Amino acid sequence: MSTVYGQQSGPVAEVGARGASVAQARAVTPASVPGRRGWLSSPAFRTLSLTAASLLIAFCAWQFLSTFVFNPFLIPPPLEVFRVAIPMLQSGEILSDVSISMVRVLVGFTTGSLAGVVLGVLLGRIRLLHDLLDPIIELLRYLSPTAMIPIAVIWFGIGEMSKYFLIFWGTLFIVLINTTAGVWRAPVARQRAAACLGASRLQIFVLVVVPSAVPYIVIGMRVAMASSFMSIIPAEILAADSGIGYLLQQSSMLLQTDRIFVALLTICILGFTVDRIFRFLVDRVLARYMSFVSQT
Amino acid sequence: MLRVSNVRKVFESARGSYVALDGVSLTVNDGEFICLLGPSGCGKSTLLNILAGFEPVSAGTVMFGDTPVTGAGRERMMFFQDAGSALLPWLSTEENVRFALRVRKIPKADWPAIIDRYLAMAGLDAHRGKFPAELSGGMRQRLQIARGLAVEPNVLLMDEPFAALDALTRRRMHVVLLDIWQRIGKTIVFVTHDIAEAISLADRIAVMSVGPRSVITELIEVDLPRPRDLTNPKVARLFGEIEELLTPDLIRSDEQLESQ
Repeated sequence: MSTVYGQQSGPVAEVGARGASVAQARAVTPASVPGRRGWLSSPAFRTLSLTAASLLIAFCAWQFLSTFVFNPFLIPPPLEVFRVAIPMLQSGEILSDVSISMVRVLVGFTTGSLAGVVLGVLLGRIRLLHDLLDPIIELLRYLSPTAMIPIAVIWFGIGEMSKYFLIFWGTLFIVLINTTAGVWRAPVARQRAAACLGASRLQIFVLVVVPSAVPYIVIGMRVAMASSFMSIIPAEILAADSGIGYLLQQSSMLLQTDRIFVALLTICILGFTVDRIFRFLVDRVLARYMSFVSQT
Repeated sequence: MLRVSNVRKVFESARGSYVALDGVSLTVNDGEFICLLGPSGCGKSTLLNILAGFEPVSAGTVMFGDTPVTGAGRERMMFFQDAGSALLPWLSTEENVRFALRVRKIPKADWPAIIDRYLAMAGLDAHRGKFPAELSGGMRQRLQIARGLAVEPNVLLMDEPFAALDALTRRRMHVVLLDIWQRIGKTIVFVTHDIAEAISLADRIAVMSVGPRSVITELIEVDLPRPRDLTNPKVARLFGEIEELLTPDLIRSDEQLESQ
């Protein structure tokens, strides 16, 4: 990399380093031919190659350690994990467990977010309601979904409803607290300016205060999404007959460490993918509400 | 006409009460450009918030024409120092003005003409589609002004609107504001701590004393032709006089802070 920088003429090196288009980097005189490889030093390529390198190194280290250092039964090497994963993928076994878990997460997350936003907005706006409910919320939010599993099973059985409830429970408090904070932080100047313009109290609330809280709501939802993925697994381990958590638990009973690792990898990939999709959707739909601007 | 008589404002808090204003009286004439001038903590913003109707008075009266001021009213428009937080950042330049027309219930057929007029007046015609975050500080402030003017208030209340801008931009904004004021002929009450700013803008300057118990100590008529250049000896003399007027107050304010 350093040689590339060194051989480029000053301003071109700057452009290349800032990740300008390949076309720009190519518009260099033949004297500085390495400039043609400007895209190699572009930030996007850098990130991509470092990510690939990181994964490759982890893969090799894992393969090496589990083959030569650790007991391959306890930590199956990655090639072995992939070998086991392929038939599980082909038979649709993983897909069906993934979709069962995903539906649970989505139902609980959606209802929990909705309830959290509605309650949070009301609590942020109505002082009396906040003062009445806040002490209860402050106590209840320490009951993680995992702590609620035993009672949820008694209340709702081991069917879908208990899983919906647990994810709902975990999502509700995170989204609620963030929403309330967002509503509180809607700039006073913005509300007063709207009042001067002629907006009614309801208009100020709906058109000014709630949109101002959107960045906080979205952050709350992202955190809640991650926590939903963490909660669904113990819920399925302890109280389910399907889903990724159940796959983990069954494989553990049968001492199938390779299948356990397939399930663990699935969780990693799933969580990562869903978070990316969430961010993509937010960028598409809510981008204009996401600026935390703006001091002059 | 905006008439403030014997206004007293007390802020109550857990640490006791603080008398911000004590017996402030002021009459603002229609079409006049008046500056409230004083050091930080003199209660000038408090007085402006009272004029806007955001803060109730503890004693005394505030009248707009024949009606007492009890809340935000459509005839009085406040302009905030931080335009970024006063504007709606999720709406473009044009949409911000449209928001004003919508909440003011102005017939939709009139919108395009009004939007064109005020965006042109603020020099934002070329930036209709941009969002506030994409505008410079000066442009954001001009957008706030355009949006406020679009609903045609009688009185413009401006709370140090240019204080956060760099010196060059601020001087350009003075030219823009004076130009707009001369065109629309509305009343402006303008809060500032900058003597030069007050002199270059105002018809009259109300000098306020440092709190607690702030009052208007002096009402200065600025009878000089605009634009007022600070190198003009008359302007310079006025600057010196006002500075002298404020200096004992500033020393007193520092001593108060030290003794606290």
